[in-house]
Amino acid sequence: MRIRDIFSTAFTNLTRRKVRTSLTALGVTVGIFTIVVMVSLGIGVQTEINKQFEAIGLENIFVQPRSSNQDEFTRYLRPQRETPITAARIAEWRKLPNVVSVNAVVDVNAAINKRLRIAGDDTRTTGFQVDPGVGIDEPFQTPPTALAGKLRPETNGSIVLSQSTAQALDLSGDAQSWLGQPVQIILESPRGETQTFDYTIVGITSVTEERQVALTPEDSLGLKAWWFNDPALLETEGYDFAVVRASDINAARLLVPQLRDEGFRVQSLETVLDLASRVFLVINIMLGSVGGLALFVASIGITNTMVMAIYERTREIGTLKALGASRANIRLLFMAEAGMIGLLGGMIGLFLGWLAGLGLNEVAVAYLKREQVPLEGPFFLITPNLILLALGFALLVGMLAGLYPAMRASRLDPIKALRHE
Amino acid sequence: MTEPLIRTQDLRRTYQMGSTTVSALDGVSLTIDRGSFVALVGPSGSGKSTLLNMLGGLDRPNSGEIWVGAKDIARATDRQLVEFRRDQVGFIFQSFNLLPTNRAWENVALPLMLAGVGRAERRKRAELLLGQVGLAGRTEHRPSELSGGEQQRVAVARALANHPVLILADEPTGNLDSRTGREVLTLLQNLVRTQDVTLLMVTHDLNAAKFADRILHMRDGQLERDETVDQAEVAAV
Repeated sequence: MRIRDIFSTAFTNLTRRKVRTSLTALGVTVGIFTIVVMVSLGIGVQTEINKQFEAIGLENIFVQPRSSNQDEFTRYLRPQRETPITAARIAEWRKLPNVVSVNAVVDVNAAINKRLRIAGDDTRTTGFQVDPGVGIDEPFQTPPTALAGKLRPETNGSIVLSQSTAQALDLSGDAQSWLGQPVQIILESPRGETQTFDYTIVGITSVTEERQVALTPEDSLGLKAWWFNDPALLETEGYDFAVVRASDINAARLLVPQLRDEGFRVQSLETVLDLASRVFLVINIMLGSVGGLALFVASIGITNTMVMAIYERTREIGTLKALGASRANIRLLFMAEAGMIGLLGGMIGLFLGWLAGLGLNEVAVAYLKREQVPLEGPFFLITPNLILLALGFALLVGMLAGLYPAMRASRLDPIKALRHE
Repeated sequence: MTEPLIRTQDLRRTYQMGSTTVSALDGVSLTIDRGSFVALVGPSGSGKSTLLNMLGGLDRPNSGEIWVGAKDIARATDRQLVEFRRDQVGFIFQSFNLLPTNRAWENVALPLMLAGVGRAERRKRAELLLGQVGLAGRTEHRPSELSGGEQQRVAVARALANHPVLILADEPTGNLDSRTGREVLTLLQNLVRTQDVTLLMVTHDLNAAKFADRILHMRDGQLERDETVDQAEVAAV
């Protein structure tokens, strides 16, 4: 018998009892619908989270020195550091294999009295924060872009201003025209001493929320050294933290324990993501299991339907055998029929799951928009793999459910079957 | 003309009915010529259906030989029996046994489908055969849309589909009224005369048996009497 004829015969047999076939397939529909909705939600949310993490950089490792005591970091007193991140240490890390770059970061404390002005013009002045540039930022924030010039200063004596800072300095016109403008940072100690530091604007960022400037680590260190009156600040205290960029996520994963052993606090987003994906795997398995349970029940329904079909068609099976159908032919006919029930239910379930995902996604996006969370989704993501998985699973469930009835039909004794009333 | 198609040697078959053993065939030896129309008559339980099933490869003897052509089907494997039924034998049943969802031509083409013949070729052959049994205009009808006599004609056409050497009919007129039954018997008679086919028919109706060239009487699992019918004489009466 040709495969095509097996399928067309099985299909014809399915259409004999349309209501029964539909009801049997409905069980599979429920199961596949549940699986598709749940797994597409899992995939969608995970993809969204990955997207957010990727913006920050998964191969980055954040290294901080440990504090030797619990002293608050006050305006004038700094905590002792167990192992400072010195320039020598940075150079050492740069030589490690799989390390692409090491960025030393100096955090200019917000409590330091400082203001920014247009060079020599005390009427155009503003307070500001020094943006260390790297760190674990707000994950849901879109990263800033450079409106003009650079995003970060590269040489000492240059400075990058946020848009809002530039506006506070009464700079008007095109951002491009602000480049090259000399500005000054003025520190004022509580003792009344002041010190002026000169810079040139080399870039404007798109940040509008905060008045920020960006400096090189050395320039930042210069500010702190004057403030704390400690010219050897780098030797005694070291950098505030360092961002070690590994060649890839796996290398990052290996570097984390190594740096931890050297006595530093180490954070890697990869470890967070690792945990997140493990949580999602568990959630996916749990949700998938609910659908799996529904499919199991559906498979019992299919088996029942097929066994009933055998009773109804015993004489037909006997006739087919007398006319020369082999056991394999009969078995394939029934397996194909059961598989088609599964596939039919699966296709409807997939379609309904897709529709439900679209609907629920609209609701989620509308809610997030109202709450002003800048996430766009889609939170229900149906990948080609999920389609294959859903349909393949539906087909498999159908065929497995049909296995026993098919074996039973193929083993019928033709003489007894022909005598069956 | 007198070349034998079927030769059986001392066929024995017993069935277990609860605790008692029933002997359905008790040493049947017979020869059936190629191109003959043989009727197998006897009371119920005489073993005629068992013999028919055995010649059709649906059942196996406990002992004895069944030669169809050059093949001993008593010793064939299951797979060989399937192929034997599919390629050499045509079956006609008392209750027609047409597939209710299939059209007339699809029912006729069923053995060809099982043999793996393509759809276009199957249809051509089925339409030809339906024409031969007088149902040229009924190819698209389903069994429920056909009368009993028409259904049995479809079944006859189906039995011819694979160019079988042997057609086995089990009470082919049992579910038909006598007039329609005679029409079907005449059709079968003509088939044997015009086509290269051998027909073995089980019946308990002696009037039906008279359409055959030869009548084998069975009783208690044995051949009781072998009677040759002169069709010219029957026609004269």
